[in-house]
Amino acid sequence: MTMPGFRVIRPSSVDEAVRVLADNGPEAMVIAGGTDVVPNLQMRLFAPRVLVDIKGIGELRGITCNDRVGLRMGALTTLTEIAEWKFVERCFPVLGSAVRSVAGPLQRNMGTIGGNLCLETRCLWYNQSEFWRQSLGGCLKKQGDVCHVAPGGQRCWAVWSGDSAPALLTVEAELEIAGPGGRRRIPLAEFYRNDGMNRIALGRGELVVAVHVPVSSAFRRGVYRKLRVRDSIDYPLAGVAVAMKVDGQGICRAARVALAAVNPAPQLVHAAAERLEGKRYSAELVEEIAHEAIRTAKPLTTSASTPVYRRDMVRLFTRRALEELWQTRRGNGEKRAG
Amino acid sequence: MGEMNVIGKRMAMTDARAKVTGLGRYADDLSVPGMLYGRILHSPHPHARIRSVDTLAAEALEGVKAVATGRDAPTPYGILPIGHDERVLALDKARYIGDNVAAVAATSPEIAEEALRLIRVDYEPLPAWFDPLESMKAEENWIHEKRAHNIEKEYHHHFGNVDEGFAQADFVLEDRYYCGEVTHAAMEPHSTLAVWEPNERLTVYSSTQVPFYLHRTLSAVCEMPMSRIRVVKPLVGGGFGGKSEIIPLEVAASVLAKKARRPVKITYTREEVFYAHRGRPITIVDLKLGITKEGRITAAQARIVQDGGAYCGYGPVTVLYSGALLNALYDIPNVKFDGFRVLTNKPACGAMRGHGTVNARFAFESMLDQIAARAGLDPVELRRRNLLKAPCTTPNGLRVTSYGLPECIERVAERSGWAEKRGKLGKGRGIGFACSHYVSGAANPIIRSNMPHTTVNIKIDRDAGITVYSGASEIGQGSDTMHVQIVAEVLGVRPERVNLVAADTELTPVDLGSYSSRVTFMAGNACLNAARNMRAQILGPVARQFDCETDDLEMRDETIVSKNGAGVSMSFDDAVALAMVGEGALVAKGTYAPPEQARGGKFKGAGVGPSPSYSYSAQAVEVKVDRETGQVKVERVVAAHDCGRALNPLTVDGQVQGSVYMGMGQAVQEEMVWREGRLMNPSFLEYRLPTTLETPQIESIIVESIDPEGPFGAKEAGEGSLAAAIPAIANAIYDAVGVRITDVPITPERVLAALRAKEEAEKGGAR
Repeated sequence: MTMPGFRVIRPSSVDEAVRVLADNGPEAMVIAGGTDVVPNLQMRLFAPRVLVDIKGIGELRGITCNDRVGLRMGALTTLTEIAEWKFVERCFPVLGSAVRSVAGPLQRNMGTIGGNLCLETRCLWYNQSEFWRQSLGGCLKKQGDVCHVAPGGQRCWAVWSGDSAPALLTVEAELEIAGPGGRRRIPLAEFYRNDGMNRIALGRGELVVAVHVPVSSAFRRGVYRKLRVRDSIDYPLAGVAVAMKVDGQGICRAARVALAAVNPAPQLVHAAAERLEGKRYSAELVEEIAHEAIRTAKPLTTSASTPVYRRDMVRLFTRRALEELWQTRRGNGEKRAG
Repeated sequence: MGEMNVIGKRMAMTDARAKVTGLGRYADDLSVPGMLYGRILHSPHPHARIRSVDTLAAEALEGVKAVATGRDAPTPYGILPIGHDERVLALDKARYIGDNVAAVAATSPEIAEEALRLIRVDYEPLPAWFDPLESMKAEENWIHEKRAHNIEKEYHHHFGNVDEGFAQADFVLEDRYYCGEVTHAAMEPHSTLAVWEPNERLTVYSSTQVPFYLHRTLSAVCEMPMSRIRVVKPLVGGGFGGKSEIIPLEVAASVLAKKARRPVKITYTREEVFYAHRGRPITIVDLKLGITKEGRITAAQARIVQDGGAYCGYGPVTVLYSGALLNALYDIPNVKFDGFRVLTNKPACGAMRGHGTVNARFAFESMLDQIAARAGLDPVELRRRNLLKAPCTTPNGLRVTSYGLPECIERVAERSGWAEKRGKLGKGRGIGFACSHYVSGAANPIIRSNMPHTTVNIKIDRDAGITVYSGASEIGQGSDTMHVQIVAEVLGVRPERVNLVAADTELTPVDLGSYSSRVTFMAGNACLNAARNMRAQILGPVARQFDCETDDLEMRDETIVSKNGAGVSMSFDDAVALAMVGEGALVAKGTYAPPEQARGGKFKGAGVGPSPSYSYSAQAVEVKVDRETGQVKVERVVAAHDCGRALNPLTVDGQVQGSVYMGMGQAVQEEMVWREGRLMNPSFLEYRLPTTLETPQIESIIVESIDPEGPFGAKEAGEGSLAAAIPAIANAIYDAVGVRITDVPITPERVLAALRAKEEAEKGGAR
């Protein structure tokens, strides 16, 4: 498959990138690792006039971590770099667990954390070739006016399929964004709009520069459980990230549960935090939170697996993750999903 | 047969170095000066009349050198003489989403794709048929006018008397089995480079398993004599049946090259490979089986419906294999078969590894376990009690000459720890057993003739190098290496002395192709005969010089010596030089045709199933089932395969492992998903082949029954082990968690639903 014609611009600083993005507006697309953008270009999901290749911007690289500011990961940090970062298991096990589950080793070597947090939403009716989509008359998200997932509706249900975002939600990450008006920091949760068509809150000329995780959420036990057919390569059919702090008496001191691939955005299960804090383990409580998780999940027929099964697995994975983290003495050991 | 030096040794394939270093050249790696890029326009409708195709704007685009439509190549074709129902580009009707409507050749791929966007096709959509059982009832809007009720072919066979057989049975079981559609998923997408030569000839380099049939078809469609067309097969990156008939791009590239008078290359996108398809059809098997309480099978009855897609392809052969190979694995006195090949508005199905037998075998081996449970018999013991007494001929006329199944069963039972493990692996773990078999080539050619199925030539000239010319097609299975081994063994030389020229219609004699696991048996026998002829030509002059009989001489270690160690010793080079005196270059020929008695019965459809020899396989599989997710993990496979003799144990192991892998993919995760004739997963991301990470330990056991007619006793190794993998997994799941899954693929959803249904039933029973 060929790609549409475009011009490539390689800015060498964040300021220059912002200027190029602001000048070109919707005509420009950012490319970093290319693992999401390139196939989408081949499928003609986009036809940008300008591709802004940010790989040459040094400021966007690298991991720093200290007890003053916590963790900072430049947007160009590759998923492999995060997986191999020597403190990831000790400080943020949920993040290590999630990034290791992304695609396969080749994609993790190429793919960046910034790109993974800005992933396009996915749908079986959308991530198809130009020929395929046109044979159907397009869909709401692209060149059509019908949603094949929820016919009659005017909302796009393409799902959030990134694995790192739910993990970072459970450790209360923030994004550093550069734009024509300077830098701003927003909680990651506010970055996602839960709209398959317009997934993230990035304005004209804006670029994700870094991800920050506060010191206060370090050392939480954590795990990401991912429903997929192949452990080797697949996007999530559903994903559950859990991070929690448990004190010496087995009492939960902090907890977050977040979901992937069952909504147009990665979503925190809001009830989990308050219901778990200050509590001791009980099977009933875990089941209650698992039930809250499926109230948050709204899977539709956007992927190969059925919505019913994906809801079932969200409940099961939430339960399993909580049991594993709460009941083991050091709950950051990872087991295989499922 | 004395001790052998090359045959039976583990030898790296002759093309391995080129492949692993990336230096090997596949069709898409080829380019020639002035080459154009071809692209094909596909139908967006599953069933539509084509009122007109307007190509004017496309032709006007700068860089476009040729545009072709159905009118440029109206001659219909098809792999079977009874099924010439395809045109390279649709003439009047499009019959599936992805059907070929027009083609463009341009100076760049981008321009060619842009040109496709400029072609205007006026379609009149027609009602379409997607479900085979519905399609069979169609009273109108038939996909092909001449195929009433959308039935491509039906066959009804009855051997013995099943009514009497079932009457003798103590246990009779009936069930329905469903197998979803799967495709070959060869790593190499199809690619063809068609070169219009200055002397008005056409040279076609193509990723094909069947250069000879391609040659014939191009001659018919391009309206050129075969003598002006040359077909060359470069390296092929896997076929598995998906390149075993004529694929539209091969003809389209040739038609465009002829029209543009320029070289044209077309390489399919992965999505187009899915539309070209020719894979394993959706199959619905209604099976009935009867056994006595002693465990003897008294009768088997199968009604098999295959959803063939929009064109005939190999369809009638596929459905006939599914019936014929109900026989020749076990001793079954009474067999009834009703087979239907049905047309639907989807890409055409065809031959895929284990052609026709796989889904029927899944049903049969599953049911053997079900009925063994009913009768209180060990499933392995049930199989032991129904073995053939070979050599024999089955009621449907299949001649079994060598039969390693008993040894396969015993060795797998022993190695897998069957007796200790069945029912005792603990919670969520189980072991399952199944058998399968396959042909070593079809005894009857697709196009009936009395010519040999293969001819092999060998030439030796003054360099004393040995050049073997064979039409056989290496597709990754080891065909080339097999030829080299046989010649090196017979002539007593190092394999490095042997050079193979293969699959080039200008240079090599005809071989029918790499399908139905025919190459080792047939091309191997032709090659063996050619090598023996060459041996006689070399030994004759040596015997005369030393005044002895040729029978007294042997060729080994690059020398000619006396068998009894007395006197004669001459280097291979000197012997060849001697033989060339007054003769010049030495040329030898060998052929192979299956013997008359292997060609089967005379009833309608009797031509499919007969083979000069059959391979046998037994497998034990261990699985782990997660009762809460329904996920099945295949943890260990022990697979024994009777390949007659392993000419190259390394490649036999590889073929057995590859077959098991492919069967496992179909068993637990692969399926083409359709919505109204639209393929929902035309990519390797969504059509989920297992990767190495999902592939378990596969222990292969080679069983050598030494077939009386195979080359050095060899028979097929590439397909027979596939079919057993699927039912062995289903049977292991039953052993693990007590649910019987009759639908493939055995997805977590299906397992979970079955587990919940079982729980409900048990609760109900307890009330």
